[in-house]
Amino acid sequence: MLLDRQGSGRRWRIRPDGPGKVTGGLAYLTDMAAPGMLIGLVLRSPHPHALILDIRTENAKRVPGVRAVLTHEDVPGLNAFGIARQDQPVFCFDRVRYVGDAVAAVAADTLEAAERALSLIEVDYAEQPVLDSPEKALAEGAPLLHPCGNELHRTDYRLGDPEQWFKACTVIVEETYVTPRQMHTYMETEGGLFVPEPDGRLTVYSPTQHGFMDRLQLSRVLGRPQSDIRVVSSPIGGSFGGKDELNVQPYGALLALAAGKPVKIHNSRKESVRAGLKRHPMVISMKTGADAEGRILAHRVKIVADTGPYATLGAEVLNFATEHVIGPYRIPNVDVDSVSVYTNNGMSGEFRGFGGNQAIFALEGQIDRIAGRLGIDPWELRRRNMRQPDDPGPLGQPIAPTEGAAQVWQALAESPLWRERSQGVPEDDREREHWIKTGIGAAYIMHGAGLGVGIPDPAGGRLVLAEDGKIEAVFGYEEFGQGLIATLELMMMETFGFEAEDVRIVIGDTDVVPDSGSSTASRATSMLWKSVQNMKGPFTESLLSAAADLTGNPADQLRLGPGGVYAMPEPDAASGNDAGSMLLSYAELASRTTEPIRAETAFHFPTTSSKRIGAHFLYTYSAVAAKVEVDTLTGRVRLLDQYHAVAAGPVMNPQGYLGQIEGGSSMALGWTLTEEALMAGGRYLTNNLDTYLIPTVAEHAGNVAVRPIEELPEGDAYGPRGIGEIGSVGLAPAIAAAVRDAVGVWVRKLPIDPRELQDIPHFARKAVLQHDR
Amino acid sequence: MIDNRTELAPAQSRLTLRVNGAACEIAAPPSTRLLQVIREFIGLTGTKRSCEIGRCGACMVLVDGEPVNACLAMAYQVQGAEITTIEGIASGTELHPVQRAFLEEGGFQCGYCTPGMVLSVKALLDRSPDPSDEEVEEALSGNLCRCTGYGGIRRAVRRAIELGR
Ligand code: FES
Ligand code: FES
Repeated sequence: MLLDRQGSGRRWRIRPDGPGKVTGGLAYLTDMAAPGMLIGLVLRSPHPHALILDIRTENAKRVPGVRAVLTHEDVPGLNAFGIARQDQPVFCFDRVRYVGDAVAAVAADTLEAAERALSLIEVDYAEQPVLDSPEKALAEGAPLLHPCGNELHRTDYRLGDPEQWFKACTVIVEETYVTPRQMHTYMETEGGLFVPEPDGRLTVYSPTQHGFMDRLQLSRVLGRPQSDIRVVSSPIGGSFGGKDELNVQPYGALLALAAGKPVKIHNSRKESVRAGLKRHPMVISMKTGADAEGRILAHRVKIVADTGPYATLGAEVLNFATEHVIGPYRIPNVDVDSVSVYTNNGMSGEFRGFGGNQAIFALEGQIDRIAGRLGIDPWELRRRNMRQPDDPGPLGQPIAPTEGAAQVWQALAESPLWRERSQGVPEDDREREHWIKTGIGAAYIMHGAGLGVGIPDPAGGRLVLAEDGKIEAVFGYEEFGQGLIATLELMMMETFGFEAEDVRIVIGDTDVVPDSGSSTASRATSMLWKSVQNMKGPFTESLLSAAADLTGNPADQLRLGPGGVYAMPEPDAASGNDAGSMLLSYAELASRTTEPIRAETAFHFPTTSSKRIGAHFLYTYSAVAAKVEVDTLTGRVRLLDQYHAVAAGPVMNPQGYLGQIEGGSSMALGWTLTEEALMAGGRYLTNNLDTYLIPTVAEHAGNVAVRPIEELPEGDAYGPRGIGEIGSVGLAPAIAAAVRDAVGVWVRKLPIDPRELQDIPHFARKAVLQHDR
Repeated sequence: MIDNRTELAPAQSRLTLRVNGAACEIAAPPSTRLLQVIREFIGLTGTKRSCEIGRCGACMVLVDGEPVNACLAMAYQVQGAEITTIEGIASGTELHPVQRAFLEEGGFQCGYCTPGMVLSVKALLDRSPDPSDEEVEEALSGNLCRCTGYGGIRRAVRRAIELGR
């Protein structure tokens, strides 16, 4: 059944954070203000690569209204940050490596004074050769951007003997795929309010995907214990991975402490583009061979990723891409070599899909090309190579077995969109202008969730009956729009029988929540579910036994319900509609009980037993079909229709699930057709939303059908799998296949260049298509 | 109200305008953007700041009923005007039908584009209560949303049209 509001019935609920969002009443952290607050600004490098010879701030400090001017000399702790590896200076001191590098920061009474002070900071640079591509950075004699050289990370995976088996192949496809630097383009740019408290602590109100990680990183930079720092991190105006790493926090924190006053920073869009993370541009070369029946025998892959000047999670993204170039296929001989290279381009880092997008675009391109060469239906070719439930994962590691791969394959094969393709072009399409061509394509995906082996991936949470009688669900996850609060509320109602009014959700504040790990890697919903399952028994028991003490009824004859604790109905009344009567409201229970009523859980995201760093254990499966229209006069591609089958276990929140697939696929559409943060010589050419084009409502004219497949194998202990990223990884290859179906051109570079699709001579197109289908 | 700019405002540049029905008089230089006037001088933060070049619609407000990107309008251009922000369209606790439609259909995720989106839809429906899909696309093409893929937004617009019938 397709997912929609009607079919979801009462599970389609108004989000608890909705009223504040539609009325404008919800204050985002960048909307906050404090009496007497200062405005903070950061001075960033004008050069993509230069040595710093001298920094002079005297004139800036003399500007009236300026309260603090800081450089590397003013960092009390570690002058570096980075989630995985701390190689990014808070303030550069000897060298700048990209145009977003920070050299100084100021705080002043007014924006004008801050701007003036910034303009008076003098920095002497000696420009250096700009390594604006991985090739240049890896070339012999290239200047070293870091002491360890210009390779951030190198990894590989080998299985069998591809060289030998290529000789046995009937068909070998070789292609190089190129993907763009995509910008997260969260509508709320980075920022926040930084408040020194009277008791000497610091409160940081700034969006992030893992408040505790920010707190840890800030404690290093500030040289203060973590307990001196409070990070309030939700609500967030979009993140998509882009606010996972620190951005303005070190500057806001240092300025506030230096000036002894609250400091507000809110990046302009231009500064956000310049300093912020992007999706890694990758060049992926593949050589893939199959026998005459289409069984893939050998697969060789080289990945080169441009990670920009600093690490953040670039190594982890590369590991993820390496795992995902193998896909849901049984391939006996594999050889993958990957490298992530430091350059003087913009920062690359974590971004929804996490390297899977690039890998899957390339892999699916290979599968379609092989099908084309062999004259086998592309979906049938996928069936012939499909993994089986008990097969190891892509890196040979044990994974949680599910039928997901077969289920989504079947769903897509039966989808109206795919049937339309197999049955040929319907009547209405043939009546279009003859230069408008339509086509349908599909892609097949498995996508890992969680951080993988070797990376701390804690999870957990707490349930408490608060003094006012509210059931508090306390978690260290963040709300950046995905609907986490709504999902948790529904989970609490469905698990315990509470009503919405009984529950209070507490998230996003390191002073009150436990560390539940990051809200990344499609993990938060799974971890919420597991936490609530773990706490269901103990929490119910402690509520009921306290109620038993107070009412004198035995606990086993009590149950939880809306508003309070109820007596179980008499067994013979069970068939009638006697739901039992409420004996005690939660408020009464809270005020009368003497024992604290609470449950807590802490565990680790499930991982595979393999030692392979980054290898995953839980996967979501998806099959995506897309129908496009290509105008061969202009080369423009329009998306007409999409179908997504998603096997991710039970749907926890229908509105959220649909929103994640629709929203994820919209990002994929932009990545496929229009989005590229262009750089030349290490400088951005696209600085704002006039040249960086994300999809508008007009590009989303087509239908999006989402078919969730909820069954899991009996005894599966892991529950709902992640869906935060899966919508964003399959659409690009499906569109590429659809374009091929429409006009006979294989796409290898994103975003698709319209010039490649213009005016294909009619005779050539026909010949190619007949050969391939 | 947090006012970081008053010291630079010459005393003679008084801006008078009505915001959500209330008369306001503000000391702001004539070239101050309406966006700053609303967010910083008046302290209404439902109007959002994102691109500041008129491309995203996050800062959309109604000026005498017409949708305007507040990041592009200068204070002197709205002298004497009636400004409606997202905070001004509900009547008391009763949400505007467009707000209700967004709420029920889930026409938002992070919500950062939502105030501007709601105002654009309201302006459209005030002008044309039963718009075609093309009119809707036209009216909303200046409002970017990064989260939803516009699915929920389209459903919300359809619902708002129904509610208005
Ligand atoms: S902030 Fe005004 S249009 Fe983007
Ligand atoms: S809901 Fe996040 S930008 Fe629209």
